[in-house]
Amino acid sequence: MADSSTSSVRTSSGDRATKLTGRAILLRLLYSLFSLIFISFITFMADEIAPGDAATIRAGDKVTAEQVQRIRREMGLDRPWPVRYVEFMGNAARLDFGVSAVGIQEPINKRLAATIPVTMRIAVLAILLASIVGITLGTIAAIRENRAADRAILSLSTLGVTIPNYVLLPVLVYLFAVQWDQLPATWQPDGRRVAGDIYYLIIPVVVLSLRPMATLTRLMRASMVETLGQEYVRLAVAKGVPRIQLYFKHCLRNAIIPVLTAIGTSFGYLLTGSFVVENAYTIPGIGRETITAITQRDTPMILAATLVTGAMFVAVNLIVDLLLPLIDPRIRESQV
Amino acid sequence: MIAAAGKVARTRTRGNGLFWCGVGYLVLLVLFAIFGPSLKHPYDVTVGAPFLPPSGQFWLGTDEIGRDIFSRLAYGARLSLLIGVVVQVIAVAVGILVGVLSVFGPKWVSIPLQRFTDGMFAFPDLLLAIMIVGVFSMGVGPVILGLAVGAWPPVARLVKNQVASLKDREFVTASRAMGASTFYLVIRHILPHLWGVLLAVMMVDVAATILAESTLSFLGIGVQPPEPSWGQMIQVGNLNKNSYPLLLLWPCLILSLTIFALNFVGDGLRAMADPKKSGTH
Repeated sequence: MADSSTSSVRTSSGDRATKLTGRAILLRLLYSLFSLIFISFITFMADEIAPGDAATIRAGDKVTAEQVQRIRREMGLDRPWPVRYVEFMGNAARLDFGVSAVGIQEPINKRLAATIPVTMRIAVLAILLASIVGITLGTIAAIRENRAADRAILSLSTLGVTIPNYVLLPVLVYLFAVQWDQLPATWQPDGRRVAGDIYYLIIPVVVLSLRPMATLTRLMRASMVETLGQEYVRLAVAKGVPRIQLYFKHCLRNAIIPVLTAIGTSFGYLLTGSFVVENAYTIPGIGRETITAITQRDTPMILAATLVTGAMFVAVNLIVDLLLPLIDPRIRESQV
Repeated sequence: MIAAAGKVARTRTRGNGLFWCGVGYLVLLVLFAIFGPSLKHPYDVTVGAPFLPPSGQFWLGTDEIGRDIFSRLAYGARLSLLIGVVVQVIAVAVGILVGVLSVFGPKWVSIPLQRFTDGMFAFPDLLLAIMIVGVFSMGVGPVILGLAVGAWPPVARLVKNQVASLKDREFVTASRAMGASTFYLVIRHILPHLWGVLLAVMMVDVAATILAESTLSFLGIGVQPPEPSWGQMIQVGNLNKNSYPLLLLWPCLILSLTIFALNFVGDGLRAMADPKKSGTH
């Protein structure tokens, strides 16, 4: 009975809700745009404040100050910074990041196009794994609050939060690749793989997913414990709703909302975690590309990689926020 | 203040073994960082054959070019603790300033400050530090700068929320009615309420900073050789793990224990600072 009345309220206000959501979506998009502009501004300013610029890098060591000055004029670096910032942002918006400062001066967007899909595939698989396992374990822990299963899950998640990627990865490689010879010890380019793709993905995906998994587990547990203590749950228990239905129909949908928001934030850990995993497992992704760029002092590449990684983070958070109202009608209606 | 905190600690954490284990470990670690290097050989000089197993002369063995691992770990401890504490002191100082100003400052200061703080959250985790190390240079100074730039926004947000909730409490209003200036109010009545929470947060954040520093060093863009750091030693251990796993074990062990200890102490302090919320974190 309670169910039918809420659903009728929902349909009557459905029309209004969609209209409000339209405006909320627009605001959220503007907020993402602001974040992107902010990231580009900080990135640009960091480069401005840092000693040396593109002209000194291109000129090399054996030139006079006048020659550097001439190169600077040719590259347009003598113009005031607001002008150059607008130009930088305009180019970035058209995905034109200039050319790399070292080697054959390859266009940077070509290198980004080659590396981003590799990183994204691993990151998306890792966040999916982390979400599914985290939500499941968190729910189990909450249902069995303060029993053995709960204690075990909590201790494991403490381990997961504190053990860094670069400790876990070598340990897993040592055990599964070196000692037991079941999984590959490093990444191989497509042509040289001996078995299916999945063998190469297991270690990096598991390592990357561990920390978000632990965070999401703890959050899901806390959220579910809180939900289980609510009045309406006690009413449902009193009414004699079967346990399974109680957990999955009445509680999960409410408890999961803060967890979904956290998935977006966890994705940030995952992106920087992939810097470590890609370097230690020799995966040709954006993280490895960035570290190589830093050791070669390839500033344009560093800036582009920062922008793109930041943009991926902003995009994932946007997607999560846009999906939330689908799950929680209260958000649909509160977003005025 | 410290004596008072100790007394509160004794009464509120009785039976909290993990907290005291953590404190004990950290005391040992600080002693190790101060005196460890002078017990043994200098850290950057080859003193034995490469990859020697632990022995009476080299307590934990030697590394890939024959340097004593024990004294390198001790120097690494020195560097990790130094970077962790310096970064957090900067972060807390900037965080308090920004947090207080975004509540009590005039509108033209507080609103841009709040937007700026919010904007900083658009950077995922370590990315800002990696970028700053990238465009400046590598080494201890840029690492501290990069990590501090990324570390203050959460502190500022925490301080802002706490200050905003304290601002309208009766004792603050009473003091203001008696003619206290805003500066006096903040120093005398509001900040003293924050030390407990900030100390707890700082412990956990020092752990995060130490982790971040060793991540950068592991990636080869943090502390540069020959200066030893745990992250660097893990990187070398990772390259040699097939032939000599012990090289990987020592730095991983000391790093993980340090992170655990700092987290336990932070959780214990949080429980003391706010008994109501203990156990939820």
